[in-house]
Amino acid sequence: MSSESLILFFIVGVFLVGGAIVFSTFVPPSSVNPNKSDTYECGIPTKGLSWLQFNVGYYLFAILFLIFDVETVFIFPWAVVMKQLGMVAFIEILIFFVILGLGLLYAWKKHALIWE
Amino acid sequence: MKDMSVALKFIPLDHYVLLCIILFSIGVLGVLYRRNTIIIIMCIELMLNSVNLLLTAFSVYHSDPTGQIFVFFIMVVAAAEVAVGLAILVMMKRNIDSVDINLLSRLKW
Amino acid sequence: MRLEDFLLMRHELLLTLIAIIILIAEIFTDDFKKQGIRPLSIILMAIVTIVGFLPAPTGTLFGGMYQATDMRLMMKNILNIGALIVFIQSASWLKSDDNQNKVSEFFLLLISTLIGMNFMISSGDFLMFYLGLELATIPIAALAAYDRYSNKSSEAGIKLILISALSSGILLYGISMIYGTVGSVYFDKVSVAYGATPLQIMSFIFFFTGMAFKISIVPFHLWTADVYEGAPVNVTSYLSVVSKGAAVFIFSIMLVTVFQNIAAMWKDVMWITAAITMTLGNLFAMRQNNLKRFLAFSSISQAGFIMLGIIGGSELGMAAVVYYILVYIFSNLGAFGVIAAISNASGGKENMSDYDGLYKTNPALSLTLTLALFSLAGIPPVAGFFGKFFLFTAVAEKGYWWLLTIAVLNTIISLYYYLLPVKAMFINKAETSIAYFKSDGWTKVGLIICVAGMVIVGFASVIFEYIRTLSFGL
Repeated sequence: MSSESLILFFIVGVFLVGGAIVFSTFVPPSSVNPNKSDTYECGIPTKGLSWLQFNVGYYLFAILFLIFDVETVFIFPWAVVMKQLGMVAFIEILIFFVILGLGLLYAWKKHALIWE
Repeated sequence: MKDMSVALKFIPLDHYVLLCIILFSIGVLGVLYRRNTIIIIMCIELMLNSVNLLLTAFSVYHSDPTGQIFVFFIMVVAAAEVAVGLAILVMMKRNIDSVDINLLSRLKW
Repeated sequence: MRLEDFLLMRHELLLTLIAIIILIAEIFTDDFKKQGIRPLSIILMAIVTIVGFLPAPTGTLFGGMYQATDMRLMMKNILNIGALIVFIQSASWLKSDDNQNKVSEFFLLLISTLIGMNFMISSGDFLMFYLGLELATIPIAALAAYDRYSNKSSEAGIKLILISALSSGILLYGISMIYGTVGSVYFDKVSVAYGATPLQIMSFIFFFTGMAFKISIVPFHLWTADVYEGAPVNVTSYLSVVSKGAAVFIFSIMLVTVFQNIAAMWKDVMWITAAITMTLGNLFAMRQNNLKRFLAFSSISQAGFIMLGIIGGSELGMAAVVYYILVYIFSNLGAFGVIAAISNASGGKENMSDYDGLYKTNPALSLTLTLALFSLAGIPPVAGFFGKFFLFTAVAEKGYWWLLTIAVLNTIISLYYYLLPVKAMFINKAETSIAYFKSDGWTKVGLIICVAGMVIVGFASVIFEYIRTLSFGL
């Protein structure tokens, strides 16, 4: 890779994105009406304000998701070289899974997974 | 992988170091100036990410994978930190009904 | 890697095992059987502490990432003792109605931090060190916010998590620069290649700053008092003793091994910070009325005294640091134990004026507190005196006379404020002093261990001699 290709890439990127924006502002017919600027939620008219309080349940799920999502950082490299590492690494990752599973079981037992 | 590290070395190391210093400083300044706890946590993440970038850059330049492994662990620890931090934040919001750290003066001398 | 090699990681593996046992017990028991978890955890912890003292092989694991030497095993044992005392002391507090539904969480989080500290002390490279450090700090923040409906507790929790995240960010920046300049994160390689190029000096400054936050050395101490006051008493005692002890241990190991090439430089930095830390900690401690805050500032100034041993840098200095931490565990936990017992029995009375005339009503508790404060101040019959004496010797040996003068002056200042609670208990008259109460068995056992430790560690010179044989210096 050289600097020419980088510059070319940059210019093409700017033109593609900028061109799309310019194209969509000038070319299509524009119509403004209240229905169009309404909040869109699955086609049903919205009720009340959108600044409503979220259920704290979402939050618990988000934290659980965050933790279990990030753990794949460890599982993925292992899975790539699973055959070369052999049995010892397999047992180690099993222990890792068991501890993770205990965590999930704990959350389950504390009714964190029930949607109220 | 080989090509990629050659391509990465095409940019001098100084640039990475400078970029990381700038990112890190933005993070530190954010922690010092912002009063909203969520933004402070975001700024700390920014600091950690600048460290990650620096470690990766050094790792490529030393042709030594340790730095990249370090980055994995930093990411996981940062996630755990944020999870605990946000949980305490929710508790604080429930107790004092705000996430502004200026209100945290109950324990000041 | 053979199976016997896992014996080297005995402390960590046993702690992990009991953490899993407690977790399983929490998951699979019904609510009415949960009371059993409290004694179960304490007994398991006691077993681990005792097993830790059995002779063990030494060596390195994972290509030098994990190092088990006799000195590090000794440090881990000291931390285990501290954690065990905290467990015993918190037993009666955990029985109260507010805490009954989160007993096993308390023990789990505490054990996880202990695992982190043990890994941190045994670390042979920066990756293991960082992981141990984070595992030792993150659960503490959750523990500081243990009182779910108390504003102060949540404030302490958020302050602790923000400060520890910030400080580990700074620390990591230093580590990344060390990695960049040296090309390795292993301690033995770094210690050879570490020079004094500008980038390396900068990386040391970042690293020092990060660690200073954790040990609460003076320019970075502002979080300490707030967190100590807001957190529940038993968590505060853990935070001020075990957590700080672990950070001091690994910091002293790293300074004399990893950063030995720039020893002249870090000694200057430490000289100044130690002097400021002792002085400011003392000056702030004098004007405190809340006893938890009072002990927080006293622990800041104690950190300054501990740094004297590191500045000495000799084999004697290292031994003095380890010995002082052992003494400090018994004395500070004794003081916190009394404060916790009184606070639990009287509904949160923690101010010095509440202690007026305590000797009339609760003589045993006030004598224990007096002994603990004497030990912290360094008054001869108790262990604290010998601890301070060895620290001063370590500094004097290397000819830091000015620093020694400042330290001795600070000891005299500290006598004044350590005697303030004693005066309140024995001399001050009060219309309504705290009524007599009977503390339960666990509290008594905890306090008796502390008192015995303060007396025995002081008089049994074998202990110091033994630590001395394991120790190493610059």
